[in-house]
Amino acid sequence: MYSTTHSHHLSLHEESKLKNIKPEHKILSTFFIVISIAFSNVESLFQILLHSLIVFSIIFISRIPIKTYLKRLTIDIPFIIFALFLPFLSSGNNDIIYTFMGIDVFKTGLLDMFAILFKATLGLSMGIVLTAVTTNIELIYGLQKLKLPQIIIAIMSFAIRYIDVFIDEFKRVKISMRSRGYEEKGIKTLLPIAYASGAMLIRGYERGERVYLSMISRGFNGSIELREREYNNSVILIFLTIGSIIVLILDMYL
Amino acid sequence: MRKYLKISNLSYSYPDSHEALKDISFSIQKRESIAILGPNGAGKTTLILHLNGILGSLSGKIEVDGLKYTTENIAKIRETVGVVFQDPDDQLFMPTVIEDVMFGPKNFGYSNEDAEKNAIEALRMVGMDDFQDRAPHHLSFGQKRKVAIATVLASKPKLLVLDEPASNLDPASRRDLIEILKNLNISIILVTHDLPMALEICERSIILNEGEIKEDSETKIILQNKKIMKENRLELPFGFALHHLGDE
Repeated sequence: MYSTTHSHHLSLHEESKLKNIKPEHKILSTFFIVISIAFSNVESLFQILLHSLIVFSIIFISRIPIKTYLKRLTIDIPFIIFALFLPFLSSGNNDIIYTFMGIDVFKTGLLDMFAILFKATLGLSMGIVLTAVTTNIELIYGLQKLKLPQIIIAIMSFAIRYIDVFIDEFKRVKISMRSRGYEEKGIKTLLPIAYASGAMLIRGYERGERVYLSMISRGFNGSIELREREYNNSVILIFLTIGSIIVLILDMYL
Repeated sequence: MRKYLKISNLSYSYPDSHEALKDISFSIQKRESIAILGPNGAGKTTLILHLNGILGSLSGKIEVDGLKYTTENIAKIRETVGVVFQDPDDQLFMPTVIEDVMFGPKNFGYSNEDAEKNAIEALRMVGMDDFQDRAPHHLSFGQKRKVAIATVLASKPKLLVLDEPASNLDPASRRDLIEILKNLNISIILVTHDLPMALEICERSIILNEGEIKEDSETKIILQNKKIMKENRLELPFGFALHHLGDE
């Protein structure tokens, strides 16, 4: 048997207080908390502490295993690398605070670095939690509830449905290549893969045509709606989201 | 008996000028099951697409249940004629089985409750009612095929068209499928290379070859005629004999 790709979903099977919560609430909460963090002032210790507290509370109640969380947080690495260069590059008002072996360190750059580290890490953490406690279908359902245009919903549903089929097919193509003696060795042997990818593209296009035919033969008229599902409310999530917005507003006016 | 589906002088050429169907005429009666046999590239799939009004610009006439194939009637025709396509992965695209089965009825104007009722009933007919909330791509091929049939049955078609329904099925799944089709009590057009299956389900068969109808007769008679079989690249499975079906 061929192995299938049923495990590429990011959502975890662990019990979590954020599972079975209305996906539209989870999407909105993530959106508002990330926006509050993005607009926060990194010079305000009050904001940094409270936003961090809110995000870590959400990580805690999501019960995402810390190892999984850290592994997924590796997506943050490019931001960190970029941020680490900023104190030497971002001169702002030419406010040098330190010179080390002829290299200037700027205050504006230091603040920018801290802002990126803080905002990117907390923002990504929210994304990690959202995808860990929400299945792909729930995400689409939530977006449908938030009245995202039908066409976007349809494209996303198709992507989720056919990515498995596509990956499985590509695996079979590679198996059939290997069974005829193909081995991936360096850049020169990538040509057959390129041909296979081209063939897969055409097959994908043709499959798209066939799927469309099968849809119109069942009376498709442009709308794909997921059926109603039942989810719970999460008071704590609403509380933390409102808290995050209040922290932002308070700091603006106090 | 009244002719339920009537096709007269149907011809069709693809845009690359390949002539897929040449002057096809036949009719079937209510609750009659017929098989369409023929080699690869004979025009069988093109004919199926016509039955559902999918390929436009046809020359000739098609009428089903008194409905002419006109733009106004097209939705009604697609509801009347249900097509099960060859590859279930082409037919199943929604996140869950039940949503896929409800897709047709909802398009045809059923309320959510009625669509769900029909969908559950259709899934029960194919023995898949325990799989409602499963993702279609996690099912085995045989299960996908059954769900694909349910997606069409849910709209309560009066004519069911199946394109190679037995391909890639294990013997037990093939047997399940035959039993499901035998118990449906609607008109069936079965396009297949599985001649024993055609014999079991359809009394009558049509041979399509090079876009033309070469033979329209009792399935038993066709399968016994070695000349017709050979001319149309048909062959019974090795070891298969017609006499064990009571035909000495």
